[in-house]
Amino acid sequence: MESLLDLYGFFSVVLQALLLLSRTVLLGSVIFWTLLVVPLGEAMPGAAHQLAGTARRLVLGAGLATLGFTFLAAALAVLALAATLDSGLGAVLGADFVRAALGAMAATTLLLLLARPEGGLEPGRRFGLLAAAAVLLGAAVAGSHAMARTESRAMLMAATFIHQVGAALWIGGLPALWLSFRLPERATRAVGQRYSPFAVAGVGLILLGALGFWLGYIGGVPAVYGTAYGAMAATKFILLGLLLALGGANYLLLHRLETVPAGLLRVKRFIESEMALGVAVLAIAGSLTSVPPARDLVDDRVTWHEVVERFTPGTPRLTSPSHQDLAIPAMQAQLDAEWQAAQQRQAERPQAFTPGEGLLPPRNAQDIAWSEYNHNWSGIVVLLVGLAALLDASRKVPFTRHWPLLFLILAFFLLIRSDPEVWPLGEIGLFESLRDPEVVQHKLAALLVLGFALAEWAVRLGKLTGRYRYVFPLSMLAGGALLLAHTHAIANFKELLLVELSHLPLAICALVGGCARMIELRGPDVLARRAAWVWPACLVIIGSFLLIYREA
Amino acid sequence: MPHLPRPSRRAVLGALRCAPLAAYLAPLLPRQAAAHALVMSSTPEPGARLATAPARVTLRFNSRIDHGRSRMTLFGPDNQPHPLALAAETDPALVEAALPASLPAGGFRLRWQVLAVDGHITRGDIFFTVAGR
Repeated sequence: MESLLDLYGFFSVVLQALLLLSRTVLLGSVIFWTLLVVPLGEAMPGAAHQLAGTARRLVLGAGLATLGFTFLAAALAVLALAATLDSGLGAVLGADFVRAALGAMAATTLLLLLARPEGGLEPGRRFGLLAAAAVLLGAAVAGSHAMARTESRAMLMAATFIHQVGAALWIGGLPALWLSFRLPERATRAVGQRYSPFAVAGVGLILLGALGFWLGYIGGVPAVYGTAYGAMAATKFILLGLLLALGGANYLLLHRLETVPAGLLRVKRFIESEMALGVAVLAIAGSLTSVPPARDLVDDRVTWHEVVERFTPGTPRLTSPSHQDLAIPAMQAQLDAEWQAAQQRQAERPQAFTPGEGLLPPRNAQDIAWSEYNHNWSGIVVLLVGLAALLDASRKVPFTRHWPLLFLILAFFLLIRSDPEVWPLGEIGLFESLRDPEVVQHKLAALLVLGFALAEWAVRLGKLTGRYRYVFPLSMLAGGALLLAHTHAIANFKELLLVELSHLPLAICALVGGCARMIELRGPDVLARRAAWVWPACLVIIGSFLLIYREA
Repeated sequence: MPHLPRPSRRAVLGALRCAPLAAYLAPLLPRQAAAHALVMSSTPEPGARLATAPARVTLRFNSRIDHGRSRMTLFGPDNQPHPLALAAETDPALVEAALPASLPAGGFRLRWQVLAVDGHITRGDIFFTVAGR
């Protein structure tokens, strides 16, 4: 059972992100089907019939995923609670969050039953789908942050409801819209034009909900950079800005610039980028469910001065601290001594943590030096990769097309230096060290970097075609999204938060870079030519951030 | 304060050491888990040194609490757990319990675990010392 508690915090966030994603697509597809496709049938019955089948399949798929993730998230919480209370499952099942989950599962099941029959959508079934979707959303709100608030509860519940309706209207309908590009061009354009009002309304509701969150959960600018909640919310807002730019471009292409060459293909590519960024936004939303609202964390906030100090470029640490200085027994002894002292200090402050959560150990100067050295050298490698890729984009320096090989240095670096206590630098043997999951993660990471570097190199040489071309951009997108969908320390551990603040620009650059590389690969040429400059620039920015990375 | 299990220490050290190596290395970032319910105020206060033992402990949270599925346990100088019976709910964010009539002098740890009504489980400790008569 201890293993379950160890995993509880991490998996509850992952499940929450997956649940948000599936539920948003489910609700968006229901809206798309009932409010866009059905009216389209009067003007374009053939296209509407085809699109209804697509929307129905999306509702069924997303519905099953929502049902599964709702069950898993609730089951994990029930098991964790029963374990920590040392009580039977029966005593736990009456909890409010269990009832909310059961309500959501009942509404989702009703949606699945209503969507199951093929054929036309008669008014009764159409109304039933919308009503069940509203009940599902209500159940989701009943299990949200807002429900547990002691102040402004009604306002925050309303904000949560309309925020999620907005997300469903805009982001949730994108898969159905993307699939509508299988229709003839005239029908596709008509669908796109009819989708625009839904997207515009979605944006309005998202912003209205965000205003409620600002008032109820954040409360001021210092909380934005001073707390994990605020920093993640700000990142979400930046991504929303990028989404708005893409959505605005699509609006112009569909309504104003109808004669632009490859206009619909551009719209399709932008929708793909919107979906990728939408997943990242929902990953952040899932992550935010694990963090106390910024308004409640008033102690130990990071100050603006500390942020400026941390991000002020300094001389990179390019000389490795001696491995002898990192002798593990000595470091452990120091850690233990500092830990005892820290216990005394922490006893004077209220603490809170999730069952299974580890506590932050004291830091060690040599450990920081080791980490900064690793990051700064990694920054040089990534910077070189970006610059070489920029030269490659100019098509004037042919040998720079081999830039992916530079990533091999990073893979080698990671393999050698990520765990100083194990082989080849330390005294612990390779096979012995593989019993530690963290060491296994690092070794796998090195292999992952090695894999996508070789894959991208093969793409550059024309030896790898088809879907394998997407390995590199998908790695960037997955990395960016996962960087945003992790859990956070419950209290304001300043050092973790400052490290986290340095993650967020990296995540945004990774997402933008991944989208740009995708567009470059998938065309049209007019977009690909521009995108070819964007993603190397993102790598240059990532490399620059790593080069100036500091932990103290 | 629970002693940090060694795997968790390594995980957190690892997070600090190799955090933003590159965005695509994100899956490697072991992070601390988290939750919502925070103690906004308490009686006794954390780290309090009291002349006499308080009659009851009171914790005010930032969230509505499911009192039926929350617990408080007192660890005395002998480090033995003594479960406390929670008082009936008078305020959704307030958790109270009466303390045993005669507490010996020494250091105490009040271990609390609450379930917020949104389903998040949070634990924490309040340390205090009773000087004795």
